[in-house]
Amino acid sequence: MSETSIAPPSIGQKLQPYVSFIGPMAMIITILLFMAIVEPARYFRASNLNQILLDAALYMPMAMAMTFVITQRGIDLSIGSVAALSAIVMAFLIKQYDFPAHVATLIALSLGALMGLINGLVITRLKVPDLIGTLAMDLVYRGIALVLAKGLVLARFPELLTEIGRGQSLAYLPTPVVIGLACMLLGYFLLNSTHFGRYTISIGSNPEASEMTGIDVDRHRVYAYVLMGTMAALAGILLTGKLNAIQATSAPYFNLHVIAAVVVGGTSLFGGRASIVGSLAGVLLLSMMINALVTLRIEFFWQSVASGVVIIFSVALYTWLQKKDRDGGPGFKSLLFKPKNSKTFQLFAAIAIVLVVLALLGLVLSGGIKPNG
Amino acid sequence: MNSQINTETPNAVINMQGITKQFGGVVALNNVDLTAYAGEVLAIVGDNGAGKSTLIKILTGVYQPTNGHIELDGQRFSMANHSDAIAAGVDAVYQNLAIADHLTPAQNLFLGGELTKSFMGFTILDNKKMKAAATKILEERLGVRLKSMDVLTESLSGGQRQAVAIARAVRHENLRVLVMDEPTAALGPQETARTLQLIKALRDQGLTVIVISHSLDDVFEISDRIHVQRRGQCVGVVKTSDTNNEEVLSMIVGASTTSEEI
Repeated sequence: MSETSIAPPSIGQKLQPYVSFIGPMAMIITILLFMAIVEPARYFRASNLNQILLDAALYMPMAMAMTFVITQRGIDLSIGSVAALSAIVMAFLIKQYDFPAHVATLIALSLGALMGLINGLVITRLKVPDLIGTLAMDLVYRGIALVLAKGLVLARFPELLTEIGRGQSLAYLPTPVVIGLACMLLGYFLLNSTHFGRYTISIGSNPEASEMTGIDVDRHRVYAYVLMGTMAALAGILLTGKLNAIQATSAPYFNLHVIAAVVVGGTSLFGGRASIVGSLAGVLLLSMMINALVTLRIEFFWQSVASGVVIIFSVALYTWLQKKDRDGGPGFKSLLFKPKNSKTFQLFAAIAIVLVVLALLGLVLSGGIKPNG
Repeated sequence: MNSQINTETPNAVINMQGITKQFGGVVALNNVDLTAYAGEVLAIVGDNGAGKSTLIKILTGVYQPTNGHIELDGQRFSMANHSDAIAAGVDAVYQNLAIADHLTPAQNLFLGGELTKSFMGFTILDNKKMKAAATKILEERLGVRLKSMDVLTESLSGGQRQAVAIARAVRHENLRVLVMDEPTAALGPQETARTLQLIKALRDQGLTVIVISHSLDDVFEISDRIHVQRRGQCVGVVKTSDTNNEEVLSMIVGASTTSEEI
């Protein structure tokens, strides 16, 4: 607690409410500028911009729900499997049992909610930590999806699904984008105008105080996971419609992509700090980044590297900003270069030397470099 | 329900009688009585481990006594948890303030008891009304005016944060007894003075304020009576105007002849 009451708010404090927005915006502008110089013709084509929005739309509902989960100091690593399993069940109902598409999609959403509920109960009742609980449930859901679908690819669905996944019949924006933005609006409303939103922040900010105030902490945590499961199922439906096909192994990277978008958007992994607008910006940023990599003809697998790097840097940046805000700490460089890190450097040097030696040894033994050659 | 009225102290707001609390084999409180009246500040002093915190945690429903009972306005009442105490008109401001740093002052003030309105058939939060009400409570009852009600509570000073925590308790119309655990421990001199002023203001509004404090200076500045705890027992209750720093200190450490030591 600070000792004085008269200190004017620092610049960091004044900017605090906007940081979540400024951060991704700055990065988005950077990407735009970069692409404007390097590859303007192909990147800024209307069809490509449309593609970016389509890609982003898939992640909007999940990013909205993940904002709540992370704000409560939780995490959900099972969303890819929840999406795949609910989409597989939906596909089977449509293809094999001739269910009408609208009933099947509603069943998929309900199944997602059920899986979210199970996640929530595992975490709050069985007291399994979020990370382990949802990681284990990820295996369970993915396993069931594989059992159901084997290696099958279910394809060719009714028009309703393709309309949801990639249709263009609503005004100027693709239908999935409209759905995604509607979810974001719903999230904004939930966060600011409902008990659930208010308690989500208080639980993440101070769980003990929330409990003492009489808030049913566990119930509201379960709500967040149910919302997450439902939105993951919605993403499964969007994906099915977009590809007009689905298989049990679909959507493997949903969790990291969504977590990256939310964290980049300024929602704090340490709880209490939520930004729906930031999450939307984060989703757009990641889609633009990945699209830029594709446009630059960089191999697909680099996406994974890029996502990971973005997560690390944004978390480090926000942590540093907060600490600096509180303690007026030193520069960003001091995080890495501490005065007493000579031991760490020695370790680094030792590992580097071992690697170099082993590489040379390997080369010599493989005959890559001929001795006396 | 008049059968339970305590005839000895008709205007006592709180009357704790024969409170004993054991944790396993450890006796934290041994047969302690505590009485507090309307419009007074009762200070509870004592060394570490004297049972001050346990005593107020029983008063606020956090712990249940092993033995003994509590009367509020002469009515015996029992509490299963802290919410029961709040419903009965007893609330506490803890040392760590129990505030959510990432909410605004108004959001903290109404946390767990939000004001709502109807919107298209749904019950949603009435943020405007809460902000206006919070501003009013802070200004009119506590005399605290924040520069902005829209900042997060984490950016407030220690004293301002404490005002928010107090306002949260005062918000309940039926509040009779406010317990404060070390209200000045984390504050600088200026803010301490302001907080003591605030406690006096609450007393003058007719509240019973029970303050735990290590600072005898503060205790002598604000309290009307002093309840001294030592090793789980009450070793005396003295009028602040009839005693002095040294006497209370000697009661705390157990050197006094006036104490009711066994």
